[in-house]
Amino acid sequence: MKIQPLFAATAAACLVLSLSACGSEEDTSGGDGAGDNADAGADDSGDDGGSTDDGDSAEVDTAALNLVSEGTLTVCSDVPYPPFEDFDESAESGFSGFDIDIVSYVADGLGVELAVKDSAFDGLQSGLSLNAGECDLVASAMTITEDRAKNLAFSDGYYDSLQSLLVPSDSDIAAIADLEGKRVAVQQGTTGEAYAKENATGAELVAFPSNAEIYQALLAGQVDAALQDLPVNVDNAKKGDFTIVEEYDTDETYGLAIKKDNDALVEAVNAQLTELRDSGEYDTLYDQYFSEDAASDDAESTSR
Amino acid sequence: MTRSARTRLTTLSLYAIFVVIVVAFVLVADWPAIKSNFFLTEGFTGNWQDMVFVGVKNTILYTIVAFVGGFVLALVLVLMKLAPIAPFRWLATAYIEFFRGLPALVVILFMALGVPIAFGWRPPGGTVGAGLLALMLVAGAYMAETLRAGIEAVPKGQNEAARSLGMNAPWTMASIVMPQALRIVIPPLTNELVILLKDTSLLFVVGLAANQKELTTLARDFMASGPSAGTATSLMFAALLYLAITLPLTQLVAWMERKQKRSR
Repeated sequence: MKIQPLFAATAAACLVLSLSACGSEEDTSGGDGAGDNADAGADDSGDDGGSTDDGDSAEVDTAALNLVSEGTLTVCSDVPYPPFEDFDESAESGFSGFDIDIVSYVADGLGVELAVKDSAFDGLQSGLSLNAGECDLVASAMTITEDRAKNLAFSDGYYDSLQSLLVPSDSDIAAIADLEGKRVAVQQGTTGEAYAKENATGAELVAFPSNAEIYQALLAGQVDAALQDLPVNVDNAKKGDFTIVEEYDTDETYGLAIKKDNDALVEAVNAQLTELRDSGEYDTLYDQYFSEDAASDDAESTSR
Repeated sequence: MTRSARTRLTTLSLYAIFVVIVVAFVLVADWPAIKSNFFLTEGFTGNWQDMVFVGVKNTILYTIVAFVGGFVLALVLVLMKLAPIAPFRWLATAYIEFFRGLPALVVILFMALGVPIAFGWRPPGGTVGAGLLALMLVAGAYMAETLRAGIEAVPKGQNEAARSLGMNAPWTMASIVMPQALRIVIPPLTNELVILLKDTSLLFVVGLAANQKELTTLARDFMASGPSAGTATSLMFAALLYLAITLPLTQLVAWMERKQKRSR
């Protein structure tokens, strides 16, 4: 049976109307973005000089930051990744961790609320979440790389990460040179994987989507070792019968990712990060999560 | 206005609306944003060799292995399900209900990471072998049901005629019923093949070595490194490659169906 032509016409007309309604909305926001980009580009040179005087955070004009939700700093993070981010029912935002504390300091400094969204890392590192207006900031233990920086903006680094090699305690692997012919777990698409590719020649690298699977694979004996960010491996070692046998300085730094061309926000966030370091609060936070003495307390607060 | 004129006008306006929708779509879409997020040219030129020669190759290989394994399993299951001995039927039914009711991702994770912990047994072929075994188990459950439907669709008379000619039951099944049933289930089996092809993307969870990565895993890699890092260009490219495999496949089946209809 044929559909009533008139009915079909009405339906189609409705569709067109709703589409164009969407369209006009899209258009205005697009225009805004373009204007901001131009602005941001213009004061870019001035920003670098201005970043030294960062005390007056209260005067930050949040309207210029182009936040996806007025008055709120929306942060996307791929949880759990302790000690950087983890679920925490006792926390106000529902999350805790080093990254969360950092962005919560930034939000306070900017005088806005903090909202944290648990998101898949794919959307974060591809810039889709940022470009789609899901969030203003990505705080997810993301290393600043040249490749990523081509299509994403990064804040100044806020954490220098070491890589490390984790093996079962009874393993005879003592160094990266012993990995010849062994199966080594790495996290897919991370700098740890890149480092292992370059330095663990002869090893069979097995890429997993996240640390959760890496840890399970170690328990299951599917891999002989894991090359992973140091703090994450420290956490792994605490959870099971594993030992970190080596640490590697790879000159890599975590950064907060921001939509490309939102220079105003990059600048504002950098100012907050500088203030965080200058005020000494950064060291307090760092010690809380990463110092040796704090480690045992921390284990309880970060592991679920 | 006459009735026919009115009909013509309605038809015309429907076409007009269609054109307006297309034009609106083109105008409303943010093409520069689409290009920079999904179609970064350097991304295609930089990644295509790995995506095609490693990704597509492994995706097809895994699909074939899982499909063939699943099909053999399905044959066994369906014979069990149609068997005169009740416990066989129970076993087959329980199996089918169990694996049809679980997400493939969960089965894969259990096979690769759970089973070794629980039973101290690691499926052969490392994590990929475990993942493929899981896909076989799931596909087998689905295909067994498809096969059963096919067998039940073969007219009873075929069976009775063969038996009255003096053929025994297994021989009747193998030479009379099965060939007709398989012909009937070619479209749904292709459907299963396409589903399986897409399900190979789930293997990313079990841990893959560089030369074992399938399309989706590679696409995810290239979101982090290489010329298209920081965009979803590689995902888009993978999507196009998946379509390049599946569309000809479904067309082939459509052609086979047409040919079959003519031959009847």
